[in-house]
Amino acid sequence: MKNKVLIPILLFTIISCSESFNIDLPFGDTESDSINPGIDNAFASTYSPMDSEPILFKSANIYDGLGGEFRNYDLLLSEGKILEIGESISAPGVLVIDATDKWITPGIIDIHSHMGVYSAPGVSTSSDGNEATAPVTAEVWAEHSLWTQDPQFALALKGGVTSFHVLPGSANLFGGRGATFKNISQNTIQAMKFPGAPHSLKMACGENPKRVYGNRRQSPSTRMGNMAGYRSAWIDAVKYTDGMNKTDEDRRPTRDLAMDTLMGVLNGEILIQNHCYRAEEMAMMIEMSREFNYKITTFHHAVEAYKIADLLADEGICAAMWADWWGFKHEAYDMVQANVAIIDQARNGTGCAIVHSDDAVGIQHLNQEAAKAMAAGNRAGYEISKAHAMRWITSNPAKAAGILDQTGTIEVGKDADVVLWSGNPFSIYSRAEKVLIDGAFAFDLNNPKIQPITDFDLGIIQPQTNRVQ
Amino acid sequence: MKRLSLSLFLIFTFNLSSETILLKGGLVHSGNGDSSKIQDILISDKTIVGIGTNLIIDGNTRVIEVNGLPVTPGLISPMSNLGIVEINALDVTRDDESDLLSAGFSIFNAFNPHSTGIPWNRSNGVTSAMSTPSASSFPIFGLGSHFVLDGSLEIKGSKDIAMYGRLGASYGSRAETLSVLESLLDIGKMVKTLSIEEILEMNLADQLELQSQDIIALGKVVNDGMPFVLETNRAVDILQALSMKKKYGLNLVLVSVEEAPMVLDQLKESNTPVIIDPMDNIPNSFDELGSSLDLGKILDQAGIPIMFSTQRSHNYHLMRQGAGNAVAYGMSYETAIKGMSNTVAQTFRLDNRGSIEAGKLADVIVWDGDPLEPSSFPKIVMIEGKLQDLSSRSTKLTERYTNTENKPSSYKH
Repeated sequence: MKNKVLIPILLFTIISCSESFNIDLPFGDTESDSINPGIDNAFASTYSPMDSEPILFKSANIYDGLGGEFRNYDLLLSEGKILEIGESISAPGVLVIDATDKWITPGIIDIHSHMGVYSAPGVSTSSDGNEATAPVTAEVWAEHSLWTQDPQFALALKGGVTSFHVLPGSANLFGGRGATFKNISQNTIQAMKFPGAPHSLKMACGENPKRVYGNRRQSPSTRMGNMAGYRSAWIDAVKYTDGMNKTDEDRRPTRDLAMDTLMGVLNGEILIQNHCYRAEEMAMMIEMSREFNYKITTFHHAVEAYKIADLLADEGICAAMWADWWGFKHEAYDMVQANVAIIDQARNGTGCAIVHSDDAVGIQHLNQEAAKAMAAGNRAGYEISKAHAMRWITSNPAKAAGILDQTGTIEVGKDADVVLWSGNPFSIYSRAEKVLIDGAFAFDLNNPKIQPITDFDLGIIQPQTNRVQ
Repeated sequence: MKRLSLSLFLIFTFNLSSETILLKGGLVHSGNGDSSKIQDILISDKTIVGIGTNLIIDGNTRVIEVNGLPVTPGLISPMSNLGIVEINALDVTRDDESDLLSAGFSIFNAFNPHSTGIPWNRSNGVTSAMSTPSASSFPIFGLGSHFVLDGSLEIKGSKDIAMYGRLGASYGSRAETLSVLESLLDIGKMVKTLSIEEILEMNLADQLELQSQDIIALGKVVNDGMPFVLETNRAVDILQALSMKKKYGLNLVLVSVEEAPMVLDQLKESNTPVIIDPMDNIPNSFDELGSSLDLGKILDQAGIPIMFSTQRSHNYHLMRQGAGNAVAYGMSYETAIKGMSNTVAQTFRLDNRGSIEAGKLADVIVWDGDPLEPSSFPKIVMIEGKLQDLSSRSTKLTERYTNTENKPSSYKH
């Protein structure tokens, strides 16, 4: 790779764009595209990066998150962005960190988290992820449940996670909106929200909705009931969207939060994150997306994705998978360890494979989960490199969350969300030594001052000490 | 093969059991805590008969070149649902719960050697396991049994060799739980002096809704040193468990113990082995506020015997990933290997297993890489001297769906 240098002027442009995007959007250019600009931008991100200084990592090994591997390279971060990647960068006066024999990757991204909505401790008062009162609750937003002091955020950060997508649970056909966050605990939810990241809509196939509502003797109690429930809602949403597009404001329907969300999907502004285990159900969801003309971004917990790998590749739909979870329910029975690799390699390697966690422990070790999935794929006959597998926990989840233009790779101009690992990140013995978010140290293994401790952790066991040291 | 001159009958049984095999030149982790060495392992008639570098073999011995790959004892899960739960969310596939029995609930006769979890875990290196009841009764769930995971309908195992229970947050007060536990142990003590019938007639037995099986099992825990495996986390609960151990002379094993570092001296002094999940650093409840990834290191440095559980059902082999993380956070490597094998065997009195030593049953794994790296995988799985098939439903499905022939998948077999 040749040295890539972005001139500072361009860099400033990027930063100011990002800032103006946050502050000015409701009154800015997008107004003409939007029916209700003020409403659309409600609860917008107020995130601003922590203070940072220019940092030069010397002699690092780098996985760029796109499949590239660079040995003995330098990486320069400045003003929250990646400024330069090269074989020998000189930047007088900046903080230099010797990264010899260490590895740098993009910050790890989890496309499926319930941190903050199923906080720790997992007590009933913190069970805020499933509005399991009706099968269609597209009106709820996961971010409105988020507990900013969830100690799980800081634990994930130590595992190198710089961004995560929080989804509602899977009790409902439409569970509500998901949102993406930068992994810095703040006192307000808006201050943690990833600037400019689109919302998602959580949908759920299969056993969960039919069990939850079937047990209450209401619809859906079958998989066909699930389908009827989704389709009825989309019919309403199409009508609502048509109504909202009327030029005469008086003829528009009364605003409806659930319909706003479904309309956002039909307008391509809200991304579908679809919990769906079984192959034929995923294929059915694709049929339905054609019926109502919307796009599915990702199938989550796609245990049987490998059975329809070509279809998913053809449709440009990502599959977010565990490395090896199975057996806890019937629709998770047909697990293969090569699932991630089969999706990745579909249609000449055009598949979009993601390793996700759905779990506060798993999110801390997504590098190990990717290592297992890669090794299983290679045992099944593929030749997948570590550099390539790194995509499964960086650029691919960034793409699925709609934030790939900002993060998820080590490329000039991207947010400086990077992890310095003590060794190769695919080894169990490697630990995240430094985690940077927008160029600022968010975690440093060797500096207790740069290890976040939430309010929850403070003095909770003994007043003199904190829960985590 | 050796002993060809033996009678036909003997040759027949010999064939059924195993051939004589030399695993040549493996990096052998004995499971005893010793550091690894390049050695040969000679296996005959189910058993490890020799370890060394210049073992004398005859022409009938099958020699398998291991070429320096790591060799460990077969992994033993100290706590699993193998063979008794097929699918967790489907009650009709579960045999781990009882409405009738509590302390005396035995799952032994429910064990299904054809459960899909068995080939899966076996192909991932788990050669035997404790299978245990779930928490259908509280605070004691019932009795766990040890099973050899060779899939044979002729069940090889040790029936009802440990009792499992839990102390900690529940719907009632833990003070009540402690009082119930003590009453149960008092009943167990009575088995020494009273008949089961006499105990059954007592008010206390009636109040605790005990059946004769429960009383017999409690007697074994209190009077015969049957391992009593108790899950508990809060520091003060660990102390309560340790004082119960002292009072009743229990052969106590503690599970989870996330706040153990706060009561390390007492735990060490009590000589109590523990089963931990080194990856569980989540304060899942108000009992587990002290949970951290340093637990394994701290317990190891105190010399406490450590075994490994995993959070995930069906993947008991992931104890390797837990053990690996423990090592990444400071546990010694050989403690980790021992914790997946010999410590389990010693704790549950599986005297003929758990380590690579002459005289032990040959449950042996040859790995394609460092066994603590989750990306490594077994190359050879041997149970009682017999090489095991490494296929599973998972490998079958993989073959089917990586087959590119143009026909319906149901015809790809």
